[in-house]
Formats: sequence, structure tokens, C-alpha cells
Amino acid sequence: MNEKILLASAVFVPLIGSFATPIAGKISERLRNGLSLALVLLSLVCACRLIPTVISGRVVNLAFEMPLGLNFVITADCLAVFMAATSSFISAIIIIYSFDYIHRYDNRNEYYLMVTLFLGSMMGIVFSGSLLFLYIFWEITAIASWRLIGFFREKQFVIKADKAFLITVFGALAMLIGFIIIYQSAGSFELADIKKAYTTSHISSLALILIMLGILSKSATLPFHTWLPDAGVAPSPVTALLHAAVLVKIGIYAFARLFISTMSISYVWEMIVIGLVAASALISAGAALVETDMKRIIAYSTVSQIAFIFLGFAVNTEAGVAGGLLYILMHGLAKGGLFLCAGIVEQGTHTKDITKMGGLIATMPVTAVSFFACALSVMGVPPLGGFFSKYLVFSGTINAGHIGIAFVFLAGAILTILYLCRIFNSIFMGEAKVAPAQEGSWLMVSCVASIAFISFLAGIYIRYPALFASVATQQMLGR
Amino acid sequence: MPSLLIFIPLFGIVILNLPFGKAMRNAAFWFALAVFIVQIVLAITHQPIFWGNEIEQMDAFFRVNFSVDQLSFVMLLCIGLVSLTSLLVMRDTIFDINERFKFINLLMLASMGMSGIVMVTDIFTMYIFLEITAIASFILIAFEKDVYALEGAFKYMVLSALASVLILAATAILLLGAGSASFTAIADAIHRTDNNLIAVAMGLFVCGLLIKGGMVPFHGWLPDAYGAASPAVSVLLAGIVTKAAGIYTLIRALNSILGFDANIKALLLALGTISILVGAFAAIGQKDFKRMLAYSSISQTGYIVLGFGCATPLAIAGAVFHLFNHSIFKSLLFVNSAAVETRLGSTDMDRAGGLAQKMPITGFTSVIGALSAAGIPPLSGFWSKIIIVVALWQAGHTWYAATAIMASIITLAYLLAMQRKVFFGKLALGLEDIEEARLGIRAASVMLAAIIIGFGVLFPSAYAIFIAPIGEMFIK
Repeated sequence: MNEKILLASAVFVPLIGSFATPIAGKISERLRNGLSLALVLLSLVCACRLIPTVISGRVVNLAFEMPLGLNFVITADCLAVFMAATSSFISAIIIIYSFDYIHRYDNRNEYYLMVTLFLGSMMGIVFSGSLLFLYIFWEITAIASWRLIGFFREKQFVIKADKAFLITVFGALAMLIGFIIIYQSAGSFELADIKKAYTTSHISSLALILIMLGILSKSATLPFHTWLPDAGVAPSPVTALLHAAVLVKIGIYAFARLFISTMSISYVWEMIVIGLVAASALISAGAALVETDMKRIIAYSTVSQIAFIFLGFAVNTEAGVAGGLLYILMHGLAKGGLFLCAGIVEQGTHTKDITKMGGLIATMPVTAVSFFACALSVMGVPPLGGFFSKYLVFSGTINAGHIGIAFVFLAGAILTILYLCRIFNSIFMGEAKVAPAQEGSWLMVSCVASIAFISFLAGIYIRYPALFASVATQQMLGR
Repeated sequence: MPSLLIFIPLFGIVILNLPFGKAMRNAAFWFALAVFIVQIVLAITHQPIFWGNEIEQMDAFFRVNFSVDQLSFVMLLCIGLVSLTSLLVMRDTIFDINERFKFINLLMLASMGMSGIVMVTDIFTMYIFLEITAIASFILIAFEKDVYALEGAFKYMVLSALASVLILAATAILLLGAGSASFTAIADAIHRTDNNLIAVAMGLFVCGLLIKGGMVPFHGWLPDAYGAASPAVSVLLAGIVTKAAGIYTLIRALNSILGFDANIKALLLALGTISILVGAFAAIGQKDFKRMLAYSSISQTGYIVLGFGCATPLAIAGAVFHLFNHSIFKSLLFVNSAAVETRLGSTDMDRAGGLAQKMPITGFTSVIGALSAAGIPPLSGFWSKIIIVVALWQAGHTWYAATAIMASIITLAYLLAMQRKVFFGKLALGLEDIEEARLGIRAASVMLAAIIIGFGVLFPSAYAIFIAPIGEMFIK
């Protein structure tokens, strides 16, 4: 019973509570900020309290009867709790960072409403036990990110927000058709029923293609990746939230949930997915190498890293899946840190063009060091967390016998090192080209420093997340 | 006593027009408000004392034969809500007391006509109420008496006259052929004899209704009429008039008289899909807020017809639900356009920009309306669309279902363009002093947005109470 309350409040408290933030904002700024943080922290606490239960192998279920067989079901298993804990943790740091970052802009009430709503619907997605409600929460995150990308209200920014909204909704609608196909053959939207119906057979190709359209567009993977670099017009905490922690991981989560733990896909499709993400990894890494806009570089880097996570799940071996899960955590932390550092730099220098910056390490030492640590984690340098996840993904790929693919991704990893060194050098090293910028406020700086530190800790104490990931993997693969 | 819904407004209008001086003119607003609210309450509560046939003397006295079923309840609710909205918008757009008085009379007449349409059981009385509604609508469209309003009214009048001729001719033939005008008698006659003349008559009848409903290819009058009418009138027209006069009557005629045979289903499916696509593509290029919404109406009506064309109980329930949703979200969007029009003086979208900063309520409710129209969850518009799509899929019309889903992305595209140009963005130059809309418009938009969110979030209970019985009604 207790666990059911935890599960329900992890989803519904931020979801419903988010609508109280604008009201709180009318009373006082601090109250609203505090409320927003409290809602996210509560989600985090609930998710963490569920960890012991799910690690012991139990699954918590909560269902409400609805007409037409559209029952509302939320389920907590290892995968869901892992995702929930990761995303609410990163969201909490981002919200603390926003306190200082966002207070100088208009529309703050809307900002906190949307961020909290986003996190609430993200919780809805990961805990949803029914395809229909997965879709509903999926679209709510699209609404929230639409408003957030257009936060600054410039015409060009709003156009880009519309672009992101349209691309992800297009994918989601295609996915919805795919869900309806599954509904037709399994007779239910509930994942448990679908799993039973698909124990012996693979998912049909048409449904798979349609659902993959939704997943790829949400996860900004080739050929639907273009909205993600454009979304860099958003305020930095938002881009961090969008890119690193949550939005793009939604697609990956759906892939893991549907095609690993619920249904299975045939070998041919597995190879097609792997080929697609390999292309995505290389092309976007190349784009990151030539871009000059700091946020776009990091965004392309996200597209490229997402491909690594997909690879881990697509090869469908134990090491690969565990690596993919760990990658979600490590990449979320490190990439969030990079974006938040970029936000501090942008606010200090009022530019995003890396060719106009340089030598900022002199005036922004903490930001520079944090940026470097996060970059090392993304590159996969030991002992930072990113190393272990990347290693596991590679070893999973080789276990599955895809030696060639492993080499392609190795090239992608080398490119990652190149473009991250390039961006770090241009921003922080060399001669100063603009007036020396001041370090960000202590709150913002301590956020990025703590993210960098946590990335480091996650590498040192890799035992604990790895244990969780391996239990989750066992559960997902049903072994 | 359902006839009271017709006769109280009717006698009310007569009494209000007696020469008792100014007091009557001031009372008109409150009288109309009370009538609409009572209608809404009665339609929601299904009050058996009112709707039941225990007190037949009342209806017998007036020699009318009304019957109310689940479908009529939904329609009566829509009529009440949209008329109420129109009245509230009128309060903030028309200020001259005489003009107001005229408007209220016509509004009550139109609303009464529509209530009649949805309760009648014979084809001739249906024709009479159709005409009452149509005539009240012509005058309402021409209410502002400028050249565009007159043009819009004239177009509507010409096409509507054509529709009337078709419907009247069909009624005459059916009366001759069946010997009675009641739905059951005509249905009997059709199924008993294979008189081709009756089939022709039904064809004429359906064509007339399609004109009234503004379906492609008979949609030419609709954007002009909606675009030119004064704000309160476009709310009424878009929200309910074309739906009650065209779509409801079509469904009633098909269900009670013709029955859904394969040809008609195929026709409706095709017409619905074409309307969805034509309306949506035409809406993309529009620069005028109200004309864009008008084309969007054509497109959304297509979804309703598509649902009826599928003709399974689930599809019909979804279609009726979409009709209800369309009434609500399209009225809401027209109320938003009224708010913009009253403050900006025009509905040209290129002149507006960033209005959400100055008009937060209008801005927020317009997002709700637009997302519901595009079928984005968890708003009510999503549920009706998904029911229609699932029903189409189950019936094997996979391509129609896929088209219907993918047309949502076009809907979303033009509504986002509207949002971007009008509300979401930087405040346009010269609009610094703009204020939020007046109380009536604000109240109407908040009410409609609350319905959209409420029905979306509390969908299960709304479905069980309102929608499911309609589908069951159609199982035969």
C-alpha cells in the first residue's frame, strides 16, 4: 500500500502541483521557486524510496478502471525507477540553477509551470503501464518544451519552437497509429497484456516503423535530429533539461520499454536500427566539429551520444543494455553540466559564438574546470562515470558479434574527443577576445561544480549504479 | 414538456417587443441569459419531470410531436452553451441599447429554431425550424450592415435558399410518396416500396443538408459568412448553427429514415476525408484570424462526418463527442478572435503579435482551444479524435484512419502559426497600451476552456454519462 502511494505521488504531485506554481508566483517569487523545487524533490524522494522494492524484484502496480479498455495503469519496475530517479535528480539541479539564471527574464511563472509540468509528465511516461497514457504524457512533454523553447518570444525563436513541436508531434502521431495496430492485435493498450500477446511473435514491421518514427523524432536521431540544435535558442536550463536529462531520453526509454522489455524485434530490424544510429553518431559528430555556436555544438554532441545509447539497447545483449542504462545517467549528468556551463558563459559574454571567445579560464575558473570534467565524462575518460557506460556499450556490441559496428562507433568516440577539446580550447583557453567576463552567481557555479563532482563520484562508486543497472537489465531481458 | 423550450423563448420575444418602454429592453439580456442557462441545466441533468411524457397536455395543446433522445440532449447542451457564449460576447461588442435588443431577439430566435430542429420527429416541422434558424442567421450575419457583412449574408442566403428549395422539394415528394411526413412513416415507405422517386427525394434532401452544413464541395459560403459576421455572430454560426442545421439533420435523416447502407457510408467517408484535407490546407494560408478558423471548421466537420460514415456504435459516439468538442473549442477560438478584434480593431493576424503578454487570459485559453482542436492530449478534442480513429481502424478503414491522424499535424501547423502571429512572441509595435478583453468575453473564454480541460481530464465519467449511450442508440 505504502509503495502505491509513493508511486502515485511520484507522478501526480508534480503533474498537478505544477499548476499551483503560477498562483504561488502571484504571491511571492521565493514561494514559487521553493514550491517548484519541492515538487521535483518529492518526485525524486518517491523514486528513491522505491529503489529497494524494485531491486528485490517486486513490481508495483496501480490501476484505475476506465471504459473501452483504456485503463490507466502505472507500474514501477527497475527500468522505470532508474529513469525516474535519474531524470528527477537532474531536474532538481537544473531548477536550483534556474533560480539565479531565470530571475532576470519575463514570464517566470510560465517557466516554472512548464518545467514542473515537464518533469511530472516525464514521470508519467516512465511509470505508464499503458501505451495510450504513454502517448498522452509524451504529448504533454511536447507542449511543455514548445513553450520553453519559445521562452524568449523572438519571432525566430518561436518559429524554432513550432518546428520542434511539429516534428515531435508528427512522430508521435505516427507512433499513435503504431500503438493502435498493436491494440488491434493484442486487444489492449496495457503493456502486461501486450507482453503476453507477443511472447512468441515479433512485432509487425509496419507498427515497428511507425513507432520508430515517434522514438527517433523525440530522441532527435537521424533523420529527425534537426529540431534539437535549433532548440538551443531556449534559455540554458531549458536546453539542459531538454537535451541532457530528459526529453531526448524519452525516446530511448520508449525503445527499451517497448522493444526490449515488452516485445521483441527481428534481427533484420535490429540491424537497420544499428545502421541508422551509426550514421547518426558519425554525421552529428561531424556537424559538431564544424559548428561555431557553442550551444549547437553541444546539441549535436547530444545527437551523437544518443546514438551510443541506442546502440547499447539495439544490440540486445546483457552488457549492452546495462551500458545503455548507465549511459542515460552518465550522459544526463555530464551533458546537463556542459549546458549549464554554457549558460554561465553565455550570460557573462553575451555571445554564443566560440570564435569570439577565449581565455575565459582566467575569470571563470570554476566553470572552466567543471566544463572540462563534464567533457571528460562525455568523452569516456576514466575514472569518470562516462567511461564505464561507454565501455559496457562497446563490450555489449562486441559480444553480439558486431565488430565492424564497434569500429564505426570507435570513430564516433574519437570525434567526440576532438570536438569537445575544440570547444573547450576556444572558450576557455588561448587569448581573451572579449572583455573578461565575470564568473556566474555562486548558486549557478555551485550547481555546475556539483554536477562535475557527481560525475566524478559516479565513476568512483560505479558499483552502486552498475548494480542497479544490472538488476534492471536482468528484469528487462527476463532472465 | 420539451415544447416549452420552444414556446417560452417565442412568447418571450413577443412580450419583450410589446411597447412597454425601455424596461423591457433592459430585461431582454437577463431573460435570454436565464433561458440559455435553464436549457443547459436541463440538458445536463436530464430532468425526467421536464423531458418525460407524463404531462402530455402541454405538447398536445400546441399540436407538436417532440421527442428527445441522447443525441438531442448533447445537441441541446451545445446549443445552450454556444448561445450563452454568443450572448456574453455580444455584451462586450455591441453597446447601443437598441442594437443589443435586436440582436438578442434574433439570437433567441436562432437558438429556438435549433432547439426545434433537434427535437422534431417529422420532416416537415424540421424544415420549418431549419428556415427559422436560417432567416435569423442571415439577419445576424448582415447585422453590422457593412459591405462585407452584406456580401457574406447574401452568399449564405443564396446558397441556403438553394438548399431550402432542395429540402422543400424533397419534403413534398416524400409527403406524396409516404402519405405522412413523420420519420417512421417515410422509413417504412422507403423499405416497403422500391419507388425510385423516394430515393431521388432523399438524395435532394441530403444535398440540401450538405450545403447547410458547409461540407466540401458546398463550402464556398462559409468563410465569407464567418469572416464578415460580427464577433458574437461568428461564435454562434461556427459553434452550432451549421452543425445543427447541416450535420445533425443529416445524421437524424440517415439514422431514422434511410439507414446506413454501404453506398452512403462510402460517400460519407470520402466526403469527410476530403473536407478534412481541403479545410486544413486552405486554413494554412489564411491571414485573417476568423477566416482561418472558418476553414478549420470545415476540416473539423470532416472528422464528424468521417465518424458517422464509419457507422459503428463506437464511431458514432466518437463523432457526436467530436461535434460537442468542436462546438466548444471552435466557440472558444472565435471568442478569442473577438477579444483580439475588440482590442485591436481587426482580425488581421499580421498586425497582431505577442498579445498574450497583455491579454493573459485570452492567450492562455487560446492555447487550450488550439491544442484541443489539434487533438493534443489530455484535452477533450484528443479523446473524440482517438475514438473516431480507433473505430475506423477496427472497421477496417485503415487508410481513412491514418489520414485522419496525419491531418492533425496540419491542424496543429496552422494553429501554431496563429499562436505565433497573434499571441506567442514579442509584443508588436504600437500595441503597448492594449488591455485584456472585457468581462463578458473573459468569462466566456474561461468557461469554455474549463469545459475542454474538464472533459479531457475527467474523460471516463464524461464518456459513460454522455457519449456511450449515443452509440448504443444506434445499434439496431
